[in-house]
Amino acid sequence: MAQEKLKIGVYGFTGCAGDQLLIIHSEDQLLDFFNVAEIRSFLMAKSDNIDDELDVAFVEGSISTKEQVEKIKEIRKRSKIVVAIGHCACFGGIQSMYTGDGTYEKRLKAVYGDKINFEIDTPIEAKPIDAYIKVDYYIPGCPIDQKQFFAAFSKIIHGTKPVSYWFPVCTECKWKENDCLLLKGILCLGPITNAGCGAICPSHNLPCVGCWGLYDDANLKSQINLLLEKGFSKEEILKRFKTFGGPKMTERLKEVLEEEEKNG
Amino acid sequence: MDKKIKIDALARVEGHGGITVEIKDNKVENVRVEIYEGPRLIETLVIGKTPEEDLNIVPRICAICTISHRYAAIRGLEKALGIDPPEKVKLLRELMHLGEMLESHSLHVFVLALPDFLGYSSVIAMIDKYKDDVVKALQLKKYANKIMRVVSGRMIHGENPIVGGFGRFPTKEELLEIKEEAKKMLPIAERGVEIMASLDYPDYAEANTVFMCLNPPNGEFGFVGDSLLFSTGEEYDVEKYKEAFSERVVSYSFAKRSRYKGQPFSVGALARINNIGDRLKGKAGAYYRKYHDDKWLVNPIYNNLAQAIEMVYCLEEIPKLIDKIVKMPDCEIVKPERLTGTGTGSVEAPRGTLLHHYEIKDYKITKSDIITPTAMNLDDIERYIRIAAEKLVERKEIESMNLQLEMIARAYDPCISCSAHLVKVIRK
Repeated sequence: MAQEKLKIGVYGFTGCAGDQLLIIHSEDQLLDFFNVAEIRSFLMAKSDNIDDELDVAFVEGSISTKEQVEKIKEIRKRSKIVVAIGHCACFGGIQSMYTGDGTYEKRLKAVYGDKINFEIDTPIEAKPIDAYIKVDYYIPGCPIDQKQFFAAFSKIIHGTKPVSYWFPVCTECKWKENDCLLLKGILCLGPITNAGCGAICPSHNLPCVGCWGLYDDANLKSQINLLLEKGFSKEEILKRFKTFGGPKMTERLKEVLEEEEKNG
Repeated sequence: MDKKIKIDALARVEGHGGITVEIKDNKVENVRVEIYEGPRLIETLVIGKTPEEDLNIVPRICAICTISHRYAAIRGLEKALGIDPPEKVKLLRELMHLGEMLESHSLHVFVLALPDFLGYSSVIAMIDKYKDDVVKALQLKKYANKIMRVVSGRMIHGENPIVGGFGRFPTKEELLEIKEEAKKMLPIAERGVEIMASLDYPDYAEANTVFMCLNPPNGEFGFVGDSLLFSTGEEYDVEKYKEAFSERVVSYSFAKRSRYKGQPFSVGALARINNIGDRLKGKAGAYYRKYHDDKWLVNPIYNNLAQAIEMVYCLEEIPKLIDKIVKMPDCEIVKPERLTGTGTGSVEAPRGTLLHHYEIKDYKITKSDIITPTAMNLDDIERYIRIAAEKLVERKEIESMNLQLEMIARAYDPCISCSAHLVKVIRK
């Protein structure tokens, strides 16, 4: 069967490179990964990279400089499908925990001084890639999970849609028959976090910290009330929500808090 | 002859960086290692956070060094909080750290660096001719990843190691499986040493430098210690790291630079082997005595071979550690002695000395300072690239210069996400 291989690019913006590394860490799949598709560009793994028309671009990292804004738009233009991989690309990463709260300029100055003018690029507040371009599919995780990534990758290269997980970490935690940490009074974010990790932290007796990002159908109001009942302060609860929250969490929280204020 | 060599995007390294070399009238003028990786202001993110939350954040500085960051942070935080964990916890941390060292070195030696020497663009391109070696190298990498998964919970950003202990201890069966496999992996690492020793190491970048690494206790080789040892013989307590070296910033890089007495210095496997390699025993010690010579002191490309020897060391150490660990009972998480304090945690990351300094008040972080090995190496990488460029111009070997300069940068196994985690620019 002489089917033409899909042209694929793997790109990294600002982050820890963990999602690209996860692909490189997939020793059992790595040779196939390079075989079943034509990997045109993957700077972290090889040196003969060609940046031209692509069928699929996998993009890791948040957009954190002005040049990156142009670069992500340029990748979008020459790619039929853009897939955001990892927390930074999907949600903005830990570096976006304060995005939009008005402290960026102050924090930037605290770090860089008042008059700094970098020759190479201009730093901007970290945001997920869909703040600038349309994203076709999201594969969350910090970093992404092997099974989830390769399942999605296989679907995409065969021309079908990858399936996103439609349940939170709690579901996976129940499958593992773990004791519920919330019942023990531990601040766990399982109910509001996307599944996909296999409830790895609760399986180690540690609370979910939210690194798979905000679950679409999460009931934030109910989770806040539950944690207030458990004796945590509102400040503490919101701080934990925001660590892996990024601008999407901030937006959702705003709605919840505004509604609360309206209802007194 | 005028020429501008510009490597916009260094391939086969972690993160985003480039090199610019300007040659005018056959003279090398400007040499710059530019770091483009967007800044994340990590040290500002942890202010006001608890030690637990800090450990959710700082390992995310870098995926390849995630365990080193977690380990250094735990050591710093525990010092600040007055925690001295039980022996079993300490040994398990050492085990996970050996896993990362082995993983990172096998990735760098076989996947990122070796293709340069054999004339390929990637390890995948080598498969036709070197299938057996590539498959075995990937097996070794997979094994190292397994160690990290078993002990830390995941290959990357595992949350299991915490302040005072572990969320869950690995089972005896899991550990004994790792011990057994170490024996099978040792020949692959040994083959790695022989491959790296058989290569021609280019001599266009030879010059003396100062090496720094941690000084492990009891005169042993190792990756953890509480003092900074320089090849000049000077030694500093890690708490006094600010006296040992100074930091500076340049406007063309989002990463800080470090200097020792005004000079660039090098950290990493080569620094460790040069400073304390004579403490190696077993097969690693035999390889050290067989291959180590004066060239290692002047040529950064030997870092590849130094890493290969360290892989052998790791695989010899893992079974010994596990034998001790499985005899010890699981233990409770140790609670802090105090809620306010300061501490500097230090470990050797695969690419060199890593420091995490914390100041904590009422169990909230008020200040943090994280100094990474690639930030320490940047000035020396730049200096060696200048030396190489001058030598290559002198020899009229300008055409292949891009690759040759890239090889120097790659030999340092730079981790750009780490180096650019924060820049402090002081304008006067």
